[in-house]
Amino acid sequence: MLKLEQLTKVYPTGDKALTDVTLEIPSGQVVALIGPSGAGKSTLIRCINRLVSPSSGKAILDDVELTALGSAGLRRERRRMGMIFQEYALVERLTVMENVLSGRLGYVGFWRSYFRKFPQKDVDEAFRLLDRVGLLAMADKRADELSGGQRQRVGIARALIQDPALLLVDEPTASLDPKTSRQIMRLICELCKERDLAAIINIHDVALAQMFVERVIGLRFGVVQFDGPPEGLTPDVLTTIYGEEDWKETIQKVDEEDLQDVVS
Amino acid sequence: MQDIQAAFLAAFNLIVSLDADLFEIVGLSLTVTLSAVAISCLLGFPLGALLAISRFPGRGMIVVFISSLMGLPPVVVGLTVYLFLSSAGPLGSWQMLYTPTAMIIAQTLLVTPIVAALTRQIIEDLNGEYSELLRSMSARRRDILSTLLWDARYSLITASLAGMGRALAEVGAVMIVGGNINHVTRVMTTAIALETSKGELALALGLGIILVLLSISINAALMSLRTNMERFAYA
Repeated sequence: MLKLEQLTKVYPTGDKALTDVTLEIPSGQVVALIGPSGAGKSTLIRCINRLVSPSSGKAILDDVELTALGSAGLRRERRRMGMIFQEYALVERLTVMENVLSGRLGYVGFWRSYFRKFPQKDVDEAFRLLDRVGLLAMADKRADELSGGQRQRVGIARALIQDPALLLVDEPTASLDPKTSRQIMRLICELCKERDLAAIINIHDVALAQMFVERVIGLRFGVVQFDGPPEGLTPDVLTTIYGEEDWKETIQKVDEEDLQDVVS
Repeated sequence: MQDIQAAFLAAFNLIVSLDADLFEIVGLSLTVTLSAVAISCLLGFPLGALLAISRFPGRGMIVVFISSLMGLPPVVVGLTVYLFLSSAGPLGSWQMLYTPTAMIIAQTLLVTPIVAALTRQIIEDLNGEYSELLRSMSARRRDILSTLLWDARYSLITASLAGMGRALAEVGAVMIVGGNINHVTRVMTTAIALETSKGELALALGLGIILVLLSISINAALMSLRTNMERFAYA
């Protein structure tokens, strides 16, 4: 489904953000990308939809080599990669509904979207998605009236209305409280399962990642240090990813919280 | 003190007597300035927005150049337009010197850099927020431009107001290319300059008061338009 082959990014300053990243993600799999700030997590997901151009290596989505596409091909393929940003990436002055429909921008011309002449099936789909993410009642609210968690739900609906094959998710919970963070992570994972979507989620919070995903990839200095199930994140592994620290606390706390979460 | 009292009295008299000359002058002032601002917005909004989202060698220099044009002395602009339009100049055959059209051209040259420079700043800030989102959604360049201009529309009203203030208040450019000809190219600012030099201080001050009131009401009208548009848009 998604294949990365020796993906490398060197910034003009000489900083090596990614070094020979090779991995494969089958459809339906949700992968958490962890690592310290500056490890290359954001660069990696942006190299896939080419918001950042990789220096060498390949990214292949269903037999299409993304890294070799010209601008027209890239436009077409970007539709198949829904991106979810930190909560603030909504057009503040538009309504929830308009924000969701803007996800169809790559499909319909902009003048049509200006005058809100979206095809009826797009509008129907937008209502279905808003219902699914629990915001049906908010469809006509302005985006800047929403709470952080609600905004992120709009972002999710907008990414999904693109009808993507792959979700690229950049720090979805970075500015959310712990409870909302879990709800958002749960929603993303459920939706990926329902729609058989692959997803890469950049995330700071190791505990949160362990709670919801089936596979974790750890990056340090742009190099993959760990690739495996969340149970494999032992203190030793976390030390190779993040450096020396006492990890027992972190992991134990996770297990307890996780249990409570499952019970509730 | 007496002069000031006389000025208010003169202004009051001019207004209540519906003085025909006065309304002609005010009308011409408004026509020239509003036309110049409208043309400047048509040129300056897209130019500023394009500059905001483009990256090319020499862009920084253009940005600095346009910003510095914001401070162009009106008399220099007037002189340049004069040179082009005078009968010996390259556009002399158009016979436009000392017409309202020449005044509109001069004011457009003064106002466009202001609108373009402010638009560039406004759109660049907004683009910082939207850029990745729009690109990830496969938006085309013109989609990006129109989204940003549309979303910044209320801030852009302020940019056009800044340009309007400049055009309505300046005297140098319209004096040089218009010539302050009675019933043809006399506007509020040139009339004030003339009355002052004739020693008609009360009348000059009276005109000045009307000019200030006019400026305030145009600003107020556009501001309330902005508020109403926002309310309407999000009702």
